[in-house]
Amino acid sequence: MATVKVNQLAKDDLFWQIDYKHDRCTLCGKCVASCPFQAIEAKVEKRRKVVSEDITPNPKVYFQTIPVIKQVISEYNFCRGCGICEKVCPNDAIKPVRNSDHRFQAKYRATVADPFKRGGRSNLETDGRTLDKIKVGRISQMTDPSLDAQRHTFDMRAPFGRVLAPNEIPLEVDSCGKLVLKNNLPPVRWIYPIIIGDMSIGALSWRMWEALAIATAYLNEEVGIPIRMCSGEGGVPVRLLKSRFLKYIILQIASGHFGWNRIVNAMPHMVEDPAGVLIKIGQGAKPGDGGLLMAKKVAKHIQEIRGVPKADLLSPPNHQGLYSIEESVQKMFLSFNAAFKFRVPVAIKVAASATSVSVYNNLLRDPYNIVGGFFLDGIDGGTGAAHEISLDHTGHPIVSKLRDCYKAALHQGKQGQIPLWAAGGMGKNWNLAADAFKMICLGANGIFTGKLMLQLAGCVGNDMGKCNACNTGLCPVGICTQNPTLVKRLDIDKVAENIVNYFIAVDHELKKLMAPVGNSSLPVGRSDALISTDKSVAERLDINYAC
Amino acid sequence: MSKKIYIEGIRNGKRISTQTLLQEIYQALDKGINEIVVDGCGQHDIGGPLWSKDGKPLKFVVKNPGQRVGSMGMQGTTIIVDGPAPADVGWLNAGAEIIVKGDGGDTTAHCAATGKIFIGGRVGTRSGAMMKYDPKFPRPEFWVLKNTGSFSFEFMGGGIAVVCGYDCEEMESVLGYRSCVGMVGGTIYVRGNVKDLSDDVWLMDLTDDDWEFLDKNLPVFLEKIERPGALGKISKRKDWKKIVAKTYEERAHKSFMAINEFRKNKWVEGGIFGDLLYDNYEVAEFVERKDLRLRYPEWLNANYSAPCEYNCPTYIPTQKRISLLRQNKVKEALEMVLDYSPFPASVCGQVCPNLCMDECTRLYVDLPVRIKELGLLSAEIKAKKCETTKDEKVAVIGSGASGLACAYQLRLMGYHVEVFEKDSVLGGKLMQVIPEERLDRKILETEIQRVLDTGVIAHTNVNVDKKKLKELDKEFDAIVLAVGAHNPIVLPVEGSERLVKGLDFLKAINKGEKPKVGKNVVVIGAGNAGMDVVIGAYEMGAEKVVAIDIQKPAAFEKEIEHAKKLGAEILWPCFTEKITDKGVVLKDGTLIPADTVIVSIGDRPDFSMLEREYLDEKGRVLINEYLQSTVNPKIFVPGDAIKLGLFTHALGDGRKVALNIDRMFKGITLSKFEKAPKIPQDKVKNEYYHPMNAQAVSKMQTEDETKRCMSCGFCRDCHFCEEVCPEQAISRIEKSDGNFEYLSDSNKCIGCGICAGVCPCGIWVMRDNIEKYIES
Repeated sequence: MATVKVNQLAKDDLFWQIDYKHDRCTLCGKCVASCPFQAIEAKVEKRRKVVSEDITPNPKVYFQTIPVIKQVISEYNFCRGCGICEKVCPNDAIKPVRNSDHRFQAKYRATVADPFKRGGRSNLETDGRTLDKIKVGRISQMTDPSLDAQRHTFDMRAPFGRVLAPNEIPLEVDSCGKLVLKNNLPPVRWIYPIIIGDMSIGALSWRMWEALAIATAYLNEEVGIPIRMCSGEGGVPVRLLKSRFLKYIILQIASGHFGWNRIVNAMPHMVEDPAGVLIKIGQGAKPGDGGLLMAKKVAKHIQEIRGVPKADLLSPPNHQGLYSIEESVQKMFLSFNAAFKFRVPVAIKVAASATSVSVYNNLLRDPYNIVGGFFLDGIDGGTGAAHEISLDHTGHPIVSKLRDCYKAALHQGKQGQIPLWAAGGMGKNWNLAADAFKMICLGANGIFTGKLMLQLAGCVGNDMGKCNACNTGLCPVGICTQNPTLVKRLDIDKVAENIVNYFIAVDHELKKLMAPVGNSSLPVGRSDALISTDKSVAERLDINYAC
Repeated sequence: MSKKIYIEGIRNGKRISTQTLLQEIYQALDKGINEIVVDGCGQHDIGGPLWSKDGKPLKFVVKNPGQRVGSMGMQGTTIIVDGPAPADVGWLNAGAEIIVKGDGGDTTAHCAATGKIFIGGRVGTRSGAMMKYDPKFPRPEFWVLKNTGSFSFEFMGGGIAVVCGYDCEEMESVLGYRSCVGMVGGTIYVRGNVKDLSDDVWLMDLTDDDWEFLDKNLPVFLEKIERPGALGKISKRKDWKKIVAKTYEERAHKSFMAINEFRKNKWVEGGIFGDLLYDNYEVAEFVERKDLRLRYPEWLNANYSAPCEYNCPTYIPTQKRISLLRQNKVKEALEMVLDYSPFPASVCGQVCPNLCMDECTRLYVDLPVRIKELGLLSAEIKAKKCETTKDEKVAVIGSGASGLACAYQLRLMGYHVEVFEKDSVLGGKLMQVIPEERLDRKILETEIQRVLDTGVIAHTNVNVDKKKLKELDKEFDAIVLAVGAHNPIVLPVEGSERLVKGLDFLKAINKGEKPKVGKNVVVIGAGNAGMDVVIGAYEMGAEKVVAIDIQKPAAFEKEIEHAKKLGAEILWPCFTEKITDKGVVLKDGTLIPADTVIVSIGDRPDFSMLEREYLDEKGRVLINEYLQSTVNPKIFVPGDAIKLGLFTHALGDGRKVALNIDRMFKGITLSKFEKAPKIPQDKVKNEYYHPMNAQAVSKMQTEDETKRCMSCGFCRDCHFCEEVCPEQAISRIEKSDGNFEYLSDSNKCIGCGICAGVCPCGIWVMRDNIEKYIES
């Protein structure tokens, strides 16, 4: 008989409780066969009844032993609520139920003496998203003609690269009286205002990563949406580097500097320049912390591309050897501009922070014309693995920070020169177009998005603690794992198709928002188009309050 | 009789307003006038929606109209514009015939739903947009001699438009740019270059019916706009095309290439990870078979030790013994235990504290399986007849538990074995020391005889000293020094000469010498031997026995209970200061009165037959982990001679030494005979067993323990897995050697683990494919 003691972990401590209907279960085994967390198991239960059926007391014992499915109570094999059991059960006999009385993280810390880690996003949403409190409130009615989203042509491109002010363009008149460029212009790529962003080949399964790359190429070549994908920090497969599709890929360099040996060595074989280079300083999901790839996900090909053995891979929280903004510009911007002979734009990504405006102000000076973009990542960004304390308790919301940066540029009259790209929870309410449009109106040139892509691919997690097991290497749908048995669950074509379809829809929806404000190009900074029903949001963002 | 009026748009050099002009038209209509000639000055909305009271047709002849001439014009109204007209000619035309002899402006025929519009020149942007066809009315027609501006025919839903492209041969597109966007119905006949049409339409050749329509109506059109001479230029069928909207079905799917096709034909060949890993891109389901299972089962019978086996120093696997009983192989079961111990009835059944029962899984249900009683069942089993089949000879010094166990095992293996016993009787401490009360002499003698019956040769009253040992060393191939521990330890305290040695005392009793004791006896040392001394003291007539110890008594609970039942008192911690004629004086000054003080704090072996080099500085024999002398590999030392222990320890040692001697002779590396790990308790499913109360258990036949034994880690062949497996993947295979096994077919198995989850004995084990791949 198993004993139960006060300090033993119990079912009511767990995030999720398995609701099992014994009378509906045929013990087909599908739930237990498909749960990668081993959070449920087959067991036997006793049934015992002592009854009297005579007219005088006469004990009769009924004794049965019944095979059942039971929840595993463990600090390690605990139910994540992914719901695969529910999906595969033919009889609606089993499902995870959220336990609002759980105290799992406290128990976990008290038992294991280790910070609780997980993947996903901030799960501490308390008062709703700022972007959802903003509406597109300026509709062209009698004032000026609105456009027709379906039938008008729109120029939906955003700059990635250093845009010079008109008076800075190095023009001169040549001997024939023609205007000619004295020097090369800094490279600028005019791309779709949404970048698929920053998820590494270690964090994602190879199928997931490749599906993203395929979707990106497809959107460019078959649909005509000039979207770009950022590689994330973790290297890029050489076959991609040598292919023509490299032109759709933004290469990332982060503090771990993973994968750059192969990138550099592939340079002589590149048939196209990459779309850009993104220097990652920090990320919104866990600012102040570096990348974290648990050993369980460091598969052979990851080891090879990254040039490291199997181990927990912790990227340093900062770039070793960078101590100031000036140094960053000198070392990182200059070197990566030079690496591609000043033909490829180089931008930088930081976690949104109280200090972002100072950084941006500093970069805006950019006397060398080598700062090709400022990427700001807010608190609602997702991640494959992080300490929960970082996920839930560090970071800065993106909306006001983006707005502050835009206004800082405006103040200097330099808006648009170093493009602003914003992220962190984009598409969290499932509508990327709405978020993109609002951010653009607030001053972003574009946005970048990651987690939504995974959710389109089949991720079952959400921001209320469902699944969030990206760090375990046991992703039940094969997205955040390198384990072949699990990766094979993912349909690479279907994933790419879902993402392509989503962006076709987003493209329509963006136009649906651009048309009524009457913009046929991106309404960067057109905050007059926005209103907020929340007075403090309106005040903070300097947009109209409406009620 | 038509009446006609003129309306001037300019009066007295001043333009009159649209409203004034229209009011005059209404008044004229009220007067029954049905032909109105307007010499306008940009007044709007001339021509509709108007009708005569008597239903007579209305005719307007207009010069210089403003916008929307003929807008909302109705059937029966004819409007002739003599010259050009600005935007919105025939907007929402509801049936009028509108003839513009010059050019039309933007959005000509916009939303025209019926009626005919004839334009003798070109029209502006968005002309023909949103034309419709209401089936209750005649189809609208819109004729243009030259060309249209851009965005023409946007959202056209019905009707016929004809753009003749007269004099437009040089134009890139007679329909302008982005024409026909959103067009869903109607037909446009067009002559001349067309460019940048929307994706919503098809550009097609004319059918005969189409040409018949044009051929018939082109002269009519030209007649209306008074350009009959143009016919020659525009009446060649081959110059004409028609534009129709795609059907709902045709436009429903925008056909993109399938991603799969893109990946296979356009994407990097073999995938971008193709040089790093193999992937055939097959998609697995959540529930899979073979290698794609997350886990797979293995039937690992006897992979774990049952707690009884694990805890038994003699290694007796009671779960296997009971399994044989369960199969009704009673003889085999009772004989099987003899493969491990020659003394199942004496030791297991009587003197052993039965460590096997301490952790019996059955404890989690009710009471442990009665293994002690099982031992007794083997008392009468006859010895196997053994022939000497091997050349090597072994001498065993000492006939205690370890010596006889060793001799017996070696004999079973076919060796010539001789036992040399110093005492006059065989059996060592079993015979010499254990009180009869605890060990039935008849059973012991039967079991010793069984050893002898195998052909073990025993010599009693042989003292093996150095000289004798050297002789034996020459004569025998291996020597087992099972000499036990027969030198009692004496406390080095004042008055120690008064102490009676416990071992000597017990030996004297068993020899029938009836050693004398006083009324009050103190036994120093409350271990198991001490408890035997207590029993002996009472037997010899003591009235009060006190056993003292410096620590918590090491004797088993059962022994202590027995002693207490006889009236003994057990005190601890007690530190002896001295022994006097009054009794034992403790360090704290307490006197425990005693007439006799017996010391029983342990015994040491006597190795006087060994040369000094065999021993360490404390006099202990130097051996390796196989109980083999490190000086002379022929010599093995089991049992109490190494470490004081239980009889079962001695039996286990004796057996292990025998097996290692056999290995030595065969040239096989010696073994420590480590046991399989003890089965985790939760692998054995106590849920299958119905708890019984102690009384009911005690009334059961010992043989019926088969019903209580949970067969830990040893398949009880219940077929539960076979029945419960949802995929029916498990089958039971009978093997040629009479054994059986259960197999799971990986082609059927989904790795659910139900077999492991329900297996009553914990045989099925789930192996982790995920873990396997992570580590690879």
